[in-house]
Amino acid sequence: MSGALVIAEPDADEAVAAVLRKLAVVWTGFEARLEAVPLIRKLTRGRFELADYHAFLVQLRQQVKDGALWMSRAASNIDEQHLELRSILMRHAVAEHRDFRLLDADYVASGGARQAIENGEKNLGSEALSAWMFHKASQANPFGLLGAMFIIEGLGSIKAGEWGRRVCERLDLPTTAARFLLYHGENDAGHMEEFQAMLRLVLPDAATAAAIVRCAEVTARLYTLQIEEIAA
Amino acid sequence: MDPLSPVYITGCGAFLPGQPIDNEIMEDHIGRVGGAPSVFGRRALRWNGIARRHYALTPEGRWLHSNASMSAEAVLRALEAAGLGRADLDCLAAATTQGDLLVPGHASAVHGELGGGALELASFQSVCASALMAAKYAWMAVRTGEANCAAACAGEFSSRWFRPEFYEGGALIDTKGRLAMAADFLRFTLSDGAGAVVMESRPRPKGLSLRVQWIDMVSLAGRFDPCMWAGASEQGRAERDGGWSRRGPLAAHAEGAIALQQDFNLLKAVIRAWIGVYLDKVDAGRIDPRAVDHLLCHYSARSLREEIVGLLEATHAMIPEERWFTTLTETGNVGSASIWIMLEALVRSGRVQPGQRILCIVPESGRAMVGFMMLEAVEAVR
Repeated sequence: MSGALVIAEPDADEAVAAVLRKLAVVWTGFEARLEAVPLIRKLTRGRFELADYHAFLVQLRQQVKDGALWMSRAASNIDEQHLELRSILMRHAVAEHRDFRLLDADYVASGGARQAIENGEKNLGSEALSAWMFHKASQANPFGLLGAMFIIEGLGSIKAGEWGRRVCERLDLPTTAARFLLYHGENDAGHMEEFQAMLRLVLPDAATAAAIVRCAEVTARLYTLQIEEIAA
Repeated sequence: MDPLSPVYITGCGAFLPGQPIDNEIMEDHIGRVGGAPSVFGRRALRWNGIARRHYALTPEGRWLHSNASMSAEAVLRALEAAGLGRADLDCLAAATTQGDLLVPGHASAVHGELGGGALELASFQSVCASALMAAKYAWMAVRTGEANCAAACAGEFSSRWFRPEFYEGGALIDTKGRLAMAADFLRFTLSDGAGAVVMESRPRPKGLSLRVQWIDMVSLAGRFDPCMWAGASEQGRAERDGGWSRRGPLAAHAEGAIALQQDFNLLKAVIRAWIGVYLDKVDAGRIDPRAVDHLLCHYSARSLREEIVGLLEATHAMIPEERWFTTLTETGNVGSASIWIMLEALVRSGRVQPGQRILCIVPESGRAMVGFMMLEAVEAVR
């Protein structure tokens, strides 16, 4: 093995670790901010009502539906040097692009009218979040979006399950009325390794590292705004 | 040149009351709520990995000590270890979760037990991190020349709150006579004792001293509700009129608002917040994990530690486990006193060599706070 390779490998490792460290800090700031959002406080403090859950599902639907779309757009803007990352994003988009139907089903199972969630509109925060995602995805090699994925996947693996259990407990609903939240809580845990592999495809590169962290910060703030804007 | 004085820990003291109490007899020692074994007790002991602890009361409920007397004993032992006496002390910063009296402060009670002439005093009341709040006061007092010899002590007498009569007749006990997990878990986790350090502007003339490089306290209370608390019901803990004194002691007892409780759901988020603060310090270069020779991390349960290792490894922020030092299994979780009990045991073990760095981390679930203290071992050059 050449000397250059021996030096290069720890660099990549260190670059991935450094980005993960910064992302973890962004995540904890985000999570702390979420704790203070009125809707989440209602959920964790026991005054959460069915109307709150329905409003929450309507907004989640906007973001989940758009998620697969911006991911597809991002994939279409990734060059030939990063085909592997393009493939991963496309597979991801395919796997998730029908997930919003699960939200519709939860809405109906918890007593809502299907038409109401299908006709739901983005709130101010959802508009901003969605516009931001499509804006980033439209740029060449939009690797910063990995930071957005970290935030959104983190919500799935860390918060969704807990929120789902609390919704059922507070509203006395069967688990079949919170499948989207409970399903993500159970299935997103393995995504961390996949995420590290994706980082490895674009790092080390100082500008990319900074773009990933910045995108995570903005996404976290806009995601919070989306939940803040849900009347509670 | 730094106009401020360097500060050295020149003595550590620990005090653990009575005989070690092992897991088989601990529940009978503090008393069975409703006369029946706890539903959660065994599970709690598996989680926290504690095998032995000490109590300042007998199985009959007789007090062997007070919080203040244990704290004073720890201060005297720290002075003794530093080669000093009570008369050398001119500043005392005392920490605890709950003092013996509601009023006045814990430091006054400790000074009362110590006796002797005038002292500067400072009382710090919080959960575990209060130990480092007091340490920071003592450090700053010596650093600025306000004190020549300052002691920081921390004491806990948790078991007195864990007697069955403390819960009976209140809302924390359900119709089947079982105590709520939020309160019961802590009965199997916390125990009694005290610890102290003595700080001076010069190292000991002989042997090792620990130079205090820095102490950082970070509170995230602006984002989180109380996570471990006493003095309010679960619902009332973050309300402006939720405190026990709003409705008076009898009504507060009836609604389960007096006992110590822990919110386990919130704890998970608080743990991640602590890790975030630590990672931020690593990222900023304040902490270099490779340059830490001994890590003293106060954690309330062994299971919590296992949960975070994966993330720390992925972010290259892990301090290898062979550098971790703890006395949790043998001395139990003594809240604010734990960090001093651990430090005293580490120094006594003879493992610390001149030039080595010791990082103390004290996360506190009270309302999302974490304290850090970096020490460097030095040997006096005569």
